[in-house]
Amino acid sequence: MLAAFLLYPIGYSLWLSFHEWNGYTPRWGPFVGVANYLALARDEVFWKATWNSIVFVIVRTPLEVGLGFLLALLLNRKMRGRSLLRTFFFVPVVMSLIVVTIIFQRIYEANTGLLNTFLRGIGLEALAHPWLGDPSTALGAVIAVSVWKNVGFSLVILLAGLQGLPRDVIDAARVDGADAWQLTTRVIAPLMRPILALTALLSVIGGLKVFDLVFIMTRGGPTYSTEVLATMLYRQAFELNEMGAASAIAVILVALVLGTAWLQTLLLREGGTSRAG
Amino acid sequence: MSVTAPRVAMRPARDGWSGLVGRVGAGAVLLIALAISVAPGVYMLSMSLMDNPQLFAGRIIAWPLRPENYPQAWVASDIGRLYGNSIVVATASTILTLAISALAGYGLGRIRFAGRGMVYALVLVGLTIPVQIALIPLFINLRSLGLLNTRLALIGPYTGFGLAFGTYIMKGFFEGLPRELEEAARLDGAGEFAIFRRVMLPLTRPALATIAIFLFLQNWNEFLFALTFITEGGMRTLPTGIYALLSSEFYGNYPILAASLVLFSIPVLVLYFVFQQQFIEGLTAGALKH
Repeated sequence: MLAAFLLYPIGYSLWLSFHEWNGYTPRWGPFVGVANYLALARDEVFWKATWNSIVFVIVRTPLEVGLGFLLALLLNRKMRGRSLLRTFFFVPVVMSLIVVTIIFQRIYEANTGLLNTFLRGIGLEALAHPWLGDPSTALGAVIAVSVWKNVGFSLVILLAGLQGLPRDVIDAARVDGADAWQLTTRVIAPLMRPILALTALLSVIGGLKVFDLVFIMTRGGPTYSTEVLATMLYRQAFELNEMGAASAIAVILVALVLGTAWLQTLLLREGGTSRAG
Repeated sequence: MSVTAPRVAMRPARDGWSGLVGRVGAGAVLLIALAISVAPGVYMLSMSLMDNPQLFAGRIIAWPLRPENYPQAWVASDIGRLYGNSIVVATASTILTLAISALAGYGLGRIRFAGRGMVYALVLVGLTIPVQIALIPLFINLRSLGLLNTRLALIGPYTGFGLAFGTYIMKGFFEGLPRELEEAARLDGAGEFAIFRRVMLPLTRPALATIAIFLFLQNWNEFLFALTFITEGGMRTLPTGIYALLSSEFYGNYPILAASLVLFSIPVLVLYFVFQQQFIEGLTAGALKH
């Protein structure tokens, strides 16, 4: 059953990616070999989308994991309202992307949006800006929303990890006179490495798959400045009716995601043994 | 014992001036983060109670309040029907996934069979693989089956794509149950299915609840499949129904739009706040178990 749900679409997409097809005729069109892939390789938009997907991940993941870790460390002690704070930090994660996206569109709006109103209010008029309308800031603005939405997820997993750390090791370090900074960088961070890596992996995979956020917020524009692989796939398939090319993008996307997961497991395993040895 | 004594002795030093600065700093960072987390939601609520002149004047706090936006939004976005569709789709697929993944998780967690490792590897791949790979094949199959623009077009895929997560959590949970229970039931003459149904399943209620909440939220919010497989108004779910509003005459009317967004978010947020303890703990337990 599960195999059917997994292998069938992969196989089908792989098959379609070697054919030309507009999606309207009942059967797929002629076999064209790797022509779809070659056409993509010559397509500037494809490289733009790939690059944007990579930038998306490279910028988003460190911010998400870093901020999540910072907040988790701050929350990892006895204090009043801790679980209440955790509850609120997680709210963006459960909010629907369409809701989040529409709110942020409004916040980023050039003339009366909250962000520009705020910037003008504190005298930074020069920074006020059509955030989503300008190709140089659109991708950054979208990534910021993505980070905002997902930090809570990293935080919750990392906090659970911190609470599972062996108490005696940390107490021993404290007894040896480690200050808070040393304790965090020398003791806690190494112990948390596997969980940090897991959180990063989840974030990278999520980043590569991102669709709703970009599609609703900017539709990949302006001038493809926020086009990512998933939005390009949708456009190729359902706006340009290029099922073959779209399937080729799907195959590339899957290869990227599984490749990342595989690479990370490999790196983690090596890191683990080298530390042990 | 010897460890606790020095710790007590060190306390005063830690609580000195630098400790105080540290704690105030940490509190400040947490408060700023809290403000950033909730501000957009609060702004949405405020927007939903404004009128357009207030909004375009750049007001942040709505005053005077216009609660009449809500009945207007309810009618304008036909949100009653969207609610109905979303509830049917999200509930049906969640229940189906639960049933199948409970069985699959039991099989993987407690029965030894040839190829078990393979099946489990597939589950792990299923957890990571992007749903986009299935978008085109599903679209084509649903079209040739004549199922586009029906509720089944969403219930089927949502059920299938929830399975990896459901099975993964259920397997971990079943594995953790003590052997003795099963053996005792076997001695009493219970068959395999009776053991599953009568003895094991009732014990997995916390895991089932976690999966149910998680999948319900995911299906409730799902956008890509809903956008692709439902192309006409009648069967739309809430996310794509709201999305369609963006290209309708209400686009300029942000307060009404915001009111629709609030109405859309209420069930999700209520569900989350009621079950958040169980939800977060189940999720982290699933993620941290290796």
